This record gives sequence, structure tokens and C-alpha cells, in this order.
Amino acid sequence: MTVRLARGATLAAAARKLGLSEDDVDVGYGLVPLDPANGLYGLRIRDEAARRVRPEALTEEGEGVHADPRIEPFGPPRPGA
Amino acid sequence: MQESWSVRSPRLVVVCMRVMIQLRPEPDVVAAVADPGVPTPVSDVADGLPGVVLDESFPPIAVPRPVPPAGGDPLSLHRVAFSMAPQDATVLVRGEIGDDEVTTRTALLPVAHRQVAGVFADPVISPGLVCGQDPPVGDWRRVAELLGTAGLLAEGCDGSGVPVAILDTGVNVDHLRRVLGREVRLDAERSLVPEGVDERPGEAAVDHGTMCAFDALIAAPNATLLDLPVLLSRRPGGSAIDGLLSDAVAAFAHLRAVLEAMPEESRALVVSNSWGSFSPRWDFPVGHPGNYSDNPAHPFNIIVGSLEQAGADVLFAAGNCGRECPDGRCAFPERPIAGANSHGQVISVGGVDVDGKRVGYSSQGPGRLSDRKPDLCAYTHFAGSQAYGEQSPDFGTSAACPVAAGVVAAIRTRWPPSRLSPAELRTLLQRTADDRSDVGFDYEYGYGIINPPAVLDALRRLETRRA
Repeated sequence: MTVRLARGATLAAAARKLGLSEDDVDVGYGLVPLDPANGLYGLRIRDEAARRVRPEALTEEGEGVHADPRIEPFGPPRPGA
Repeated sequence: MQESWSVRSPRLVVVCMRVMIQLRPEPDVVAAVADPGVPTPVSDVADGLPGVVLDESFPPIAVPRPVPPAGGDPLSLHRVAFSMAPQDATVLVRGEIGDDEVTTRTALLPVAHRQVAGVFADPVISPGLVCGQDPPVGDWRRVAELLGTAGLLAEGCDGSGVPVAILDTGVNVDHLRRVLGREVRLDAERSLVPEGVDERPGEAAVDHGTMCAFDALIAAPNATLLDLPVLLSRRPGGSAIDGLLSDAVAAFAHLRAVLEAMPEESRALVVSNSWGSFSPRWDFPVGHPGNYSDNPAHPFNIIVGSLEQAGADVLFAAGNCGRECPDGRCAFPERPIAGANSHGQVISVGGVDVDGKRVGYSSQGPGRLSDRKPDLCAYTHFAGSQAYGEQSPDFGTSAACPVAAGVVAAIRTRWPPSRLSPAELRTLLQRTADDRSDVGFDYEYGYGIINPPAVLDALRRLETRRA
């Protein structure tokens, strides 16, 4: 999901803004700057945690829960794929 | 669909439809046509059909008439016999009718000319398109010839100093060196090692990513590869070769940092992506704010745009969901070029074989984020990397995309984004593409097949004007 934070924000700050604990977010993935000049960051959270995010935490433009679909190479299909 | 062709004169374009006309002439004429020893000119069979330009070079053909067997049901379409008796058989000639008169002529001909039994379409036929199981068509050296790599090299366009990021399953540099018989450059420091991936950059198992790297080096032999194995899944239950879109988000964020660390005047980065999402099953529905396939506000689509704006050339394969022989995983009911593969700020690449024919699995547009996709086509289905074995082709729009990426990297050797922005280069590639239709852009070939010699000509003219 995406969230707006101050420049140099941490994953912990993002989790706090969303009302989540560090157990709910993918710490290994971390906080990814999508548009750092405008404070837009991405993080990965569990489906179940996404349902607990308070709507009032996502009021700024660009914030929200987004699909994280599976991606695959456009090569020869694998057996059983 | 009508099969039409056009005759161009300086002021007039006349479009005609090819037709076959079935005639029921006198039995002695039918007998003559049916007799191979009797040459029968068209004029003996059809003397002037109004509005029809007959093809005099096509000898009339006798066609048998289906008749019920003796004592059988005269209305049955089963168990018919075929009679070539002069009183039963008909004769076929061919010609053209102006497109603007087809409806009228086909209705009036049988009325105005009592011997006309019917007017039929005469469509173009061609060998089937290349599909997934077909053997290679040509090889990578033929691709190099078609791309005019000798001309690129003569201009100093060999990819030197240009990083080409391969977002894929990982690159195996040893394999590339072995197949190419020469050194290959890979920058491990600026590559990305995703969490949970054990292999170091350039040391992945030989697979799809190695194929893509090979194909990028055809036009840009001295480019520097960046290895970003985002498709190596670490999810339980995932296949060995897939990933999540969020892995690609992280990779693009990494690449923006790489790009911004370069000196502004000379910075260049080409990003090749031969992957996508095959199914809407893993996405929110279209219209949902979290949707990916159709939503320019999805974070990945945003970061793609931001990387392009920062000066990177971003290419995506159009996908292997062409109507003629789609990949079995294709699950979009229509418009399979979705998400970032259809982004307005990327070059979406379809596939053609070395004969210039679209391969049957290359996805047709329109795109979902941007209508006019694919942008252009590049070569695929040729013997090249041997990533899947010596006899197996470099396959899919997966191969076409890095072939095009290599061309972009070659051009960037001398024309970095500070001189020619990614948007300007995209326009140039579209304008100079070898158009495969009469109408400019189409949803099968885009603007046409990538044409490096024409790009170089255009750049030389541009330099002259700017001087």
C-alpha cells in the first residue's frame, strides 16, 4: 500500500500512521520511496492487516491499498503452470 | 473482413475488393473449361461483367455441382455426389470490384447477367503465423543484420557506458560468454539482490533472464548489464519463476537511485521488462481504487512514470496473448496489454519473426492504460541464446523487448537523454518504424518494426538542423 510521510520517514512511522504493528508489515521489504520528493512511499502488508487500516489514516492523495498481483515472465509456459 | 488493396496515384486512392464470380454458361463452354486440353480464355466465359475488372491471367476453373445420390434426399447436405457434367458444373473466374460498389454490384450482377450464379470473397491466404511450439525462424545473426548493427557500430553506437537493466529471473554471465565467445560486462554493484535470493548478480541459473540479456546485447554488444532478478519468488506456493509486483516496485526505486547518482549530462539507463500479469484474478476489479491493470494511479504505474521522467528508457514486452495462439495462462478476456505493459511512458514491444511477420502469440492492442499499444515490434523466435537448449528459440515478446532495448542502448551511446529525452526517442522510434500496414499505426504491429538505420538517418538530420 501507499502512504504519505515526511521526507526520511521510517517503516515504523508508516506502521504507526496506519495503526498497525511491525508484525503486520513486511520488514524485509521495508519502506520504498515511490515519489520521495512528494513524500509518497510504498510498503507491503498482509491482506488481513489491510482490512484493519483505519480509513481516516488514508486521507491524502495517492494513499491507499493497492493490488500486488503475481507477475510472470513472457517466456515458454512451465509444465503445470 | 473485406480483403481490399489500394492503388495509389498522385491524387487518387482506389480501393478494390477481390472477388470470385461463379458462372453458369452454356454446357459447351463448361465442357471446354473442364477439358484440360482446351485452353479457354476468360473472354469466352464472361464477356463483360459490368463493374468488374476481370483477371485475364487467371484461367477459368470448372467447379463440380453437389448433387444428391440417385434416389437420395435432394435437400440433404450429407452424402452428396459431385457432378462435372456440363449441364451441372459451373465456372469460376476472378476479378475486382471497387470497394464503393461492392454491395450494389454483388446484388445486381446475378439480376443483370443471367449466367452469374454467385459473387464470393477471394481473401488473401498466407502460411500460418509462428506459434509457441514452432522451431526457430532464423538466428540472432540474421536479427543483427536486420537491425543494421554494422551501421550502428560504424556510428559508434555499441552501448558502451550504457547500463541495461534486465528485470527478470537473473542473468548468467558465464553462459553468455560461452555462447557469444567474448567478454560481457555486468555491474554487480548497481545490480539488485532481492531479499531471499542467494545467487550473486550474474550467477543465476540459465533461464529466461539470461535469454533476455543475450538479446539485449545483439544491438548493444558493449552495454553494461544490471541484473535485477525480481521474478525469483520467495512466496510459499509460488512457482520457481514468478514474483510479486511489489518486487518490481522495489527494483524501480533502486533504479531511480542508480540513475540519480549518475552525472546529469551523461546519465542514461535502459530498463527491459519481459514480464507481466497474465490474469485479473490477482488484481482488484477494474474501477476499484486499488486496481493495477487499468489504473494509472497504482503505485507501480506511478513509479514507472517517475523513472521515465527522471531520464530512463523503459521498455515492456506486449505479452504473449495474441488471438491466434495465446499462452495458456492468458486470462484477460480482451485487451491483454495491461498495467505498465501499456503505460503511455514506456515502449511496449510486440514480436515479429525475421520474415517481418507478426508471431501469432504477440498480444494485440489496444492497451488498457494507453490505447495505442504495442508501440512497435522487434524480432523474436530466432535461434540465439540457447537458454532453453540449442534447438530452442529465443521466444515470445520476451525476446523482442530486449532486442528493442539493445537498439535503444546503442542509440544512447551517442545520444543520451540530456540531448534526446525518452519521450523524444519514443516518438522517433515510432515515426521511423517500418510500417507493416497502409494505415500507419495498427493494433498488431503498432507503428511497425523497429528500424535502426532509419533512426540513425533521422538523428543525423536532427544534428544538422541543431548545428
